[in-house]
This record gives sequence, structure tokens and C-alpha cells, in this order.
Amino acid sequence: MIGSPRLRRLATFGAAATLALVLGACARDYPNTTFQPHSEYGRAIDFIWNRLLLLGTLVFIFVEGVLLFVVFKYRRRSDDVVPPQTHGNTALEITWTLIPAAILVFIAVPTVRTIFETQTKAPANALQIEVYGHQWWWEFRYPEYNVVTANEIYIPTGRAVNFTLRTKDVLHSFWMPQLSGKRDLIANHTNYIWFTPDSTVPTTVWNGFCTEYCGASHANMRFRVVTVKPDQFASWIEHQQAPAFFNAAPAAPAVTPAANSANAAPAQPAGPTPAQLAGFIIPKEQVPAYTIPQTPLPDIKFDDRLAGDAARGQQLFTGAGTCNACHTISGNPLAVGTVGPNLTHVGSRIAIGAGLYANDARHLARWIKNARVMKPGSIMPTLGKGQFDPQSNSAVPGGLNDQQVADIVAYLQALK
Amino acid sequence: MSATSHYTSTGLDNRKIAIWAFIGSECMLFASLISTYLVYKGRSITGPFPHEVWKDPSTGHVFKPILNIPVTSMSTFVLLMSSLAMVLALAAVQNKHVPKRTLGDKILGSSKLWLFMTALLGATFLGFQAFEFTSFVHEGLTIKTNLFGSSFFTLTGFHGAHVTAGVIWLLTLLMIDFKRGLTPDDALNVDIAALYWHFVDVVWIAIFTLVYLIR
Amino acid sequence: MATTYHPGSDLEVLTPYTPSPTPATATVHKSSLWSWITTTDHKKIGTLYLFTSLFFFIWGGVEAEIIRAQLGGPNRHLVSAEMYNQIFTMHGTTMVFLAIMPLSAAFFNYLIPLQIGARDVAFPRLNAFSYWVYLFGGLFISLPIFFKLAPNGGWFGYVPLTTRTYTPGLNVDFWVVGLQILGISSLAAAFNFITTIINLRAPGMTLMRMPIFTWMSFVVQFLIILAFPAITVALFFLMMDRFFGTAFYDMAKGADPLLWQHLFWVFGHPEVYILILPAFGLVSEVLPTFAKKPLFGYPVMVYSGILIGFLGFGVWAHHMFAVGMGPVADSVFSMTTMLIAIPTGVKIFNWIGTLAQGQIRYTTANLFAIGLVGLFTIGGISGVMHSSPPADLQQTDSYFIVAHFHYVLFGGSIMGIFAGIYYYFPKLFGRMMDEKLGKAHFWVNIIAMNLTFFPMHFSGMLGMPRRIYTYDAGQGWETFNAMSTGGAYLIVVATLIFLFNFFRSMRSGTPAGPNPWGAATLEWTLPSPVPEYNFATIPTVTSRYPLWEGKDVDIESARINQQGGKTAKQLGIVLPYNTIKPLLVALFLVLMFCGLLVGQRLLIGAAAAMAISLYAWLTSPLEPEHH
Repeated sequence: MIGSPRLRRLATFGAAATLALVLGACARDYPNTTFQPHSEYGRAIDFIWNRLLLLGTLVFIFVEGVLLFVVFKYRRRSDDVVPPQTHGNTALEITWTLIPAAILVFIAVPTVRTIFETQTKAPANALQIEVYGHQWWWEFRYPEYNVVTANEIYIPTGRAVNFTLRTKDVLHSFWMPQLSGKRDLIANHTNYIWFTPDSTVPTTVWNGFCTEYCGASHANMRFRVVTVKPDQFASWIEHQQAPAFFNAAPAAPAVTPAANSANAAPAQPAGPTPAQLAGFIIPKEQVPAYTIPQTPLPDIKFDDRLAGDAARGQQLFTGAGTCNACHTISGNPLAVGTVGPNLTHVGSRIAIGAGLYANDARHLARWIKNARVMKPGSIMPTLGKGQFDPQSNSAVPGGLNDQQVADIVAYLQALK
Repeated sequence: MSATSHYTSTGLDNRKIAIWAFIGSECMLFASLISTYLVYKGRSITGPFPHEVWKDPSTGHVFKPILNIPVTSMSTFVLLMSSLAMVLALAAVQNKHVPKRTLGDKILGSSKLWLFMTALLGATFLGFQAFEFTSFVHEGLTIKTNLFGSSFFTLTGFHGAHVTAGVIWLLTLLMIDFKRGLTPDDALNVDIAALYWHFVDVVWIAIFTLVYLIR
Repeated sequence: MATTYHPGSDLEVLTPYTPSPTPATATVHKSSLWSWITTTDHKKIGTLYLFTSLFFFIWGGVEAEIIRAQLGGPNRHLVSAEMYNQIFTMHGTTMVFLAIMPLSAAFFNYLIPLQIGARDVAFPRLNAFSYWVYLFGGLFISLPIFFKLAPNGGWFGYVPLTTRTYTPGLNVDFWVVGLQILGISSLAAAFNFITTIINLRAPGMTLMRMPIFTWMSFVVQFLIILAFPAITVALFFLMMDRFFGTAFYDMAKGADPLLWQHLFWVFGHPEVYILILPAFGLVSEVLPTFAKKPLFGYPVMVYSGILIGFLGFGVWAHHMFAVGMGPVADSVFSMTTMLIAIPTGVKIFNWIGTLAQGQIRYTTANLFAIGLVGLFTIGGISGVMHSSPPADLQQTDSYFIVAHFHYVLFGGSIMGIFAGIYYYFPKLFGRMMDEKLGKAHFWVNIIAMNLTFFPMHFSGMLGMPRRIYTYDAGQGWETFNAMSTGGAYLIVVATLIFLFNFFRSMRSGTPAGPNPWGAATLEWTLPSPVPEYNFATIPTVTSRYPLWEGKDVDIESARINQQGGKTAKQLGIVLPYNTIKPLLVALFLVLMFCGLLVGQRLLIGAAAAMAISLYAWLTSPLEPEHH
């Protein structure tokens, strides 16, 4: 039957495993941990969590301990003994009703207090960020600065940030595990969540996830939050306010510009100021590895040796690529589409595809060639010549060849 | 199961208990439908509306408040009277063997008459509903038009379906009464039908109050 | 004194039992397929439920294994995103509606009449109808996966994702219609059992003398009849939107997604108590038998069950702490959720009190029952952790929640159901299950279950969202997921041991007597397997534990009842006719629902056929005329 030594071994193993797991949760290998608060809000949650964990562990040890004790102590020793036929004990019933109730009071009081504290209105000087959820990417707007971006935000430490949450389609949920609790994005509702990142939070990147099932690519709807010092933020936001710039003469005109052609190369806007050009972007060395996606590439053939020409790419963007039907690039007057993410400064983002792939030529090229294979359900069309569109179950007629794709990639990479 | 003595813990027939459980469940069903109506009350983006005028901004057409309280008050009265008829029908079946001397007694004691009247009044109520619904559709409110249309038609439609089922039930009882006559042994069956019928009536009172009378 | 009470014999040494010359109606073994199809016998119907739900439990388990195979490592693509989303939707739907609820129904059906001293349920044909609707509805909702059309909106189907705008295909149509079909099955059964328990108890069996399993089942039936209408309405609205363009969940017309969520969870929370209370009831039957003492605090166990059922209607929005209901609503639901932990905890202590001072036998059934007590405690503790909204805003929609509900559903409901299966197997089949294999099943299971679900507490609190078909490397989740996947594979091993034991014992297990465990309640006064008429003579009950504390009249009727060997005819007992009408009505009902997806002609044709068979059912007698 159950031998004491065997069970003792089992118990020891269980305790050791649990301890290892618990200790492990504090280590630095857990980039999305909820156990390290970085704001008052985080500390309020942490306080309650620690109390829950303590009380839960005590209750666990007590109840399981009593259970195991009873199961062993009262194991059958004789077939003839009839145990005392106890039907109950009122005093015990009252005791083990009142004690759990008392324990719950210790949870209930801080709970209600924290609920009201964390659901007050954000302070008047909070940084406002409007979040719009789309299937399956994040639109971010800084209304005070007239900045529109996607899938990546910078927030200054030491200043309250108030997120206004709306969705353009189905339900989503906004979660940065290390920074705050989550809040849903509900159609026909506006939700809010705000907190103040501590001034001591380093300049680094954090992961964000959609946490309300929203369809095919729910798992691929990720974003990045970059905490920076206030001066770094000022520099960044100024750069974001500026349109995208690059200067390059076309290597060879892809299209002969006709006088009234809609595909005429757009006039180059006025040059950027040095301050705008020097806008702060988090240096590559400071971008932690766990925020750089490692999503493997699907099998999409592309000639990575091709050199792209950014100026040709700019023309293709509003030409054969038809990218401007869905994407806005501030500074490119023909690119004002709002179906897809704003690409004004896409060249300096950490990831593409809503935090899904690393932002480099290899990934960008294949994204453009066949976004639907790169990200299931994506409404971005499959653009590459001869590529198979999984949603229409057929190869696309026409499409961009590899050189054209390389050109567009070069253009996008230049949009820093 | 026949009404002959199977031992029961309560002395009640199984079907009596079952119908009460069923009615309990139906209460939750209508509570959910009514709650939906109340939650969406006043939140339709476009009209027509139940109690207010609405001017369609695109066509300029003015829609009157769509509910017609006087007419619906009449149909409510009809349904309430049908419950009275049901009570008389049940009593008539229970007292089948009591001798009836006066004409008045005979009329009051005719189960066929009162079953028929209950069904007739119920069907009249349904007629009113059909008239009301078709006129709403003519006036521009369908089940698809807005939140009000969807929740209103679904709620009253469910209720109407329940009335219809009740009318069929009553006509079946009436048929049996004609074929072999309903005796006090059948009182339980009629009682159960009566319970269902009164429940359907009470639900209508709730709907009429919350949808029609309260603004 | 008690003639059938055999003081806790070790099961390797069976109490001497000689089968009577004409073995008590080999109802289970010798009856024809037709008798099963036309049965109105609650025992046969219970057996049908048992086999069908075990099948769906395996089906849901296969879906789980695919999920775990995919999530065992980062960035795997065993199945496509779309297929994964169908599989996780169906895993939840299958386990809740096609496995756990019907497994409970198997016990309701088989046990309740036996426990209360009745010959059958109040409405035997309605009972058969419930089963056939479940079977056909289960097939309706499960087969589409073979056409890659399985429901894919999650088992909770939030709008507007599940509206036609965002999920246009047939997938969600199958879900919306299928769940309404299954709801009819549960509701019909609930009306049946409520009537049965209220009205068909043997003389002397007051409510407070009823076996605790019957009591918990009684509460569950009320939960069903009051909770299912809410989801019926929610589904009906979605169906109207998808098929007829109504506005209930049309965001452009100003609809509110929270309407769906409130309606769903008003159903959904009582649903989880529907899932656990029967298992609680089974544990409350098993523990006293193997401790050889009565259930500790029987009245408290009854009242706490009722209280849980009642309070269960007041906590639903704790599933919605992230939607922004406002601080007052958040606080109210947080408080009610904490409140409901108290009667639940009280049960745990009463079970421990039952074991204390006992002479505990470690039969497989008892091991599983003790296992529930231990594992449900863990699930209950994590549940209390969710009850605090500030903390829950980190936990909700993460794997921490997945850990919680698998502890209460697998560590709770499933363990309890296994306890019930090992305990009642002899009563159903007249044979014992193998104890050695049973213990192997238990130990592999408990290790596997913990290995699978305990790490999920960690991956959740370390940031892993739910309902994702894959995750990136380097996020700190790989180790935990690998452990969970390993545990899941081990669950397969455990389940195979169980299935092997189950089916082999059916055919060649050691023959069992009326009361192999020495238990106390009425079902153990009958031969194993139970004859068609159940009780040769309806007992008069004088105690909560007839075989332990009953007076002579209990024992005398027990002596008569357990002899068996007679047919109903010989005893002058009238049994209901076998009839195919319930199956036909069920079949046409489901075909009618199919017509919603296929076309008007099927809809109308099936409706007409259903009306005709229903008329035939209602106008034909249940049983032959009595004298």
C-alpha cells in the first residue's frame, strides 16, 4: 500500500520542485514577470498579491497538512473496530466558518481600498496616449503632440501616463505584465488605465500582449513599450512629430512622370531640422533580447542579395505596391491610408507585424511578399508575384517581383 | 402516468411539480429578455422610438412614437379576461358532476364554452399583436431596424409564441372535451394548462408595464 | 443486526458471495441493441450517458493533447493558427458540455432513483429523450471539426468576434445552434429530476434523510433550470443576428458587447457549480463508506450546498473584472466571490472531519475522493486569489486562470467522477474493477495532473496570455510549458490504464455482491447489477444510513430486495413500455435545428415529423394498465 518512506520521498521532491519554481520566478530570466512592480499602481497590486500568496500558502500548508495527517493517522488498523460514529460538531462548524471569514477580511479590506484608489481619474498633467485596438495590431496616438504611430510607444518615467482604450473592431485587452494590470478594449466603450512609472525605471523595452481572444492572430498581437528619461522622451516625441525624411535621387526612374499622373513622384518636403533628425531612439545595445522577436520565418523564397533603392521604393509605395491604400507615411502626401499601421517612422521600430518579427530587410521583404502567410488572417494582401494566398486558396495574379520588394524595403528602412 | 395512486412524497401529481419547475425556468427566460430590453432602452442610435418622436436626419421623415398604448391596453384587457375564462373552465371541469339547475349555472358550468372562450380570447390577443406588428413594420420599425426593434420584437415574439402554444394546448383540451368529455379525473391536466396560461398572462402584465407604460 | 454490512474487508479478500441461481437480471449483459435504443429505464439511460460521455472525455482529451503538443515549445506549428483556435474552442466546449455534465448525468440517472427508493424517475420517456438529444447534439457540434468548420470563437463566444461581421463562416453557427440543442437536453432532465426527488422518495425518506449525492444533485437541477435560460437568450440573440440581421450585437447600431458577457456569465458561473457539486456529492458518499463513519456535519453539507447554489447567482461578473464596470460593481462582485469561498471551504473541513477518527481503507475510489479534497483546495485557493480585482487584473486572461480552473475541474470534478466510477462500477456491472490497476491509475493521474497544471500558475504570473496558438522563445515560458506538455502526455498513460481496467473488468472482473464496500445507503441493498424494477419491495426508511443505523424494517426490506432472481412479472411490478418515440422526437428536433443551417425544407419537414412523433408520444400510455 502507501509506504511512509515512498510518500516522504514524494513530498520532498514536491517541496523542492515548488521551491525551485518559486525562486525561479524572481530571477531575471522572466522578462514578463508580474512580480516586480515599477509604479505605485504596481506596488498596490503587489501588496495584495503578496498577502494573497502568504495567506494562500498558509491555508494550503494547514489544510493539506491536516488532510495528510488524518489520512495517515486514521488508516485502517483493524477490520473489527467500529470507529466512533460522530455525526458532527457544532463548535467546530462555527470555528471553521468564522476563521476563513476572518482571513477573507484581510483580503477584502485592501482590495476595496485599492480598487477605488486605482480607478480614480488620471492626474491632469498625465501623458495621454490613445490606444485603438485592431485585428491584430495596435494603433497609438499622442493627441497632445499630434503623433500617430503603431505597435510601439515611448513613455517617460516619473510622469503619469493615461491610456484611453478603444477598439475599432472586436474585443482586445491591453497588457504590459511588468508595468500594470490589464484592461479590455470594448466596442462602443472607452476604458482607461493609468499609472506613473517610477523615476528609477531604466531606459529599456518591455513587452505587451493582447489578452482577449480576438481571432486568428490573437497570439500575434503584441506591442513594445519603451520607458525613457523625460528628456529622451521629449526628443523622441519631437522626432515623431516630424514627417519621415530621406534624401536620395532616384537611381533610375521607375515610372516616367506624366504631367498630371497620379503616380508622379511627390515633391520633396522641406528638410528636417537637426533636432528633429537627431530624435532619440533607444540604442540597439539597450534593447533587451526578449523584446526582439525570434519568430521563425515561414518558407517564403526571396533573394536576400538584392540591393533595394529607396527612391524607387517610395514610388512603388504609392504605385504598383498600392501600399498607400492602407498605410500613412507623414511627409508622403499620397500615403494617407488608415486601414493599416502608420509607417512614418517604421525604420526605427524594434519589431514589425505588431511585435511579431524582427525589423530587418529579411523579415520586411517577406512580410511585403506574403503578409498573409507571415501572419494568419492578416488583411494585408499577398503582394509577391506568384505567391500563394492562404485566404483565397490560390496564387495571386500579378504582383511585385523581388527587386520591387527590395526597393520598398529600402524605402521603409530609410523611414527612421 | 395515470392519476391512480402511485405513492408520492407530497401527495401531488408529478406533472404539477414539473409544471412549476418549468414556470420557474421560464421566469428566468423572460427576465433575461426583459433585462435586455431595459438595458437597451434609450440606446438606439436611430429611430423609430417607442415613446418619442424621431426625425430621420437623412430623409427628413418624421416618425411618431411607435407604441399605441390605447390599442395595447385593449389587448391586455382581452388577455386578462382570458385568464378569467380559464378559471371558469377549470372550475367547470372540476365540478362536472355537480347538478346544474339554472341556465346561469349551466352556462358557468360549461367546460366547452369556457375552454373555447379562453382560446378565443387568447387568439384575439394574438390577432391584436399581429395587427400591431404589421403596422409597426409599415411605419418603419422591423426587427432589424435598431436595438429597440430587435429587443422589442424578440421579447413580444417570445411571449406571443408562448400564447400560441397555450392556445393550441387549450384547443386540444377542447377537442378531447368534445370527443369523450372531460371529467374531474382530467382536472389535473386542465389545472396544469391553467397554470401555464396564467403564467403567460402575468408575463404580459410585466411586459406591458415595463415596455408600454413606463417611459 | 445488519446482515449486509461487511466490516471493511480488504478487497483482495472478497466477502463470500454466491451468485443466486438465476443471476439478478443480466440486464446489462444479455439485452439486445433494440432494448437499449427503446429503453426508458433510468439505469440503461445512465449507462448510455456513461459510455457516451467517456467517449467525449477522450475526444476532449485528444484536443487537449494537440494543444499541449503545440505549446510544448516556442513557435511550433503542428497545427495552423485557425485549426488551433478551433481545437481550443472545442476542447472547452467538449469537456464542459459533452463530458463533465453528462458524466454527472450518468450518475444522476443511475443513482437518484436507487438512492431515494424509487423504481424510476418521474418521466421515464422524457429521460430517454434527454439522452438522445445529448447524443445527437453532441455529434452535431463535434463532427464539423473534420471539415475544418469547428466552432472557433472560444467556448465563451464573446461578441462581436462571433458575429457574422468578424466570423462569417459556419463555425460559429454550429456552436450557437449546438449549444441550444444541448441546453434542451439538460433542461428536460432537470425538470425530471426535480420532480423525481421531490415526489418519489420512499416512505420515511425525508429530505434530510436523503443521501448527500441526491441532495447535491437536487441543488444542481435548480441551477440548471435557472441558469440555462440566460445562455439560451444570449445564444438566441446571436443566432438572430447571424441569420436574420437583428441588432443585438451589432456595434454599428449601438449594441453593447457586455450584454453578451453578462448573459453568458449569469449562466456561466452557476454552470461551474453545476460541474462541481455532483462530484462533491460523490465524494460525500465515498468518504464515509471507507472511513466507516457517517458524513461529518451532514446538515451543514446540505446547507452549504444550497448556499453555494444560491450565492452562485451573485458572483458572475468576477469573470469581467477587466472590462471596466467601475469600482462599485468591481467591489460588490469581489465581496460576493469571497463570500462564496466560505461554504466551499466548510465542505473541505467536513470531509476531513469525516476521515478523522475513522478506519480508512485505501480503495481506489477513496483515493480519488481524497484526491479531490486535496486538489480542489488548491483550485479554491487560486480562486480566492482571483477574487481581488487589483490582483486579478494581472491574473485574468493569463495561464494563471487556466491553472485555477483545471485544478477545480480536473482535480475536482474529474477526480470526483472517477471516485464515483470506481465506487459504483460494481453496482452497475456486477463486477469489481481491478484495484491494482486502479491505484496505478490514481497515482499516475495525480502526478500527471499536477505536472500539467501546477506550472501554469507560474507561466501565467510570468506574463503568458491565454488562448494563444504559439508563443515566442525567450519569454520565460518554455520550461513551464514543457513541463505541462510532459504532464499531459502522462495523463494519456493514466487514462489508458483506466480504460483498460474499465473494459476488462466489465467482462471479467471479480463478481460483486450487493454491497462490496459495506456502505450504508439504499442502492447497496440491491443486487449488483440492479434488476430492472430496482426494488422488489419499496423500503420504508427510518434513518439516513439505512444499512448502518436503520431499524428492523429497513433491514427486512433490504433482505428481500437484495435476493434478486425474480422478474418484474413474478413480483407483479408493472414497468413502462420500451418505446422509440423519445429517440424519434430527439432526432427530428436536432434535424430541425440542422434545417436552420441547411435550408427551409429540412426545417419544416423535420418540424412536422417531430410534431407527429410528439403527438404519438403524448397520446400513448407510459405503461400497461394496472389492476
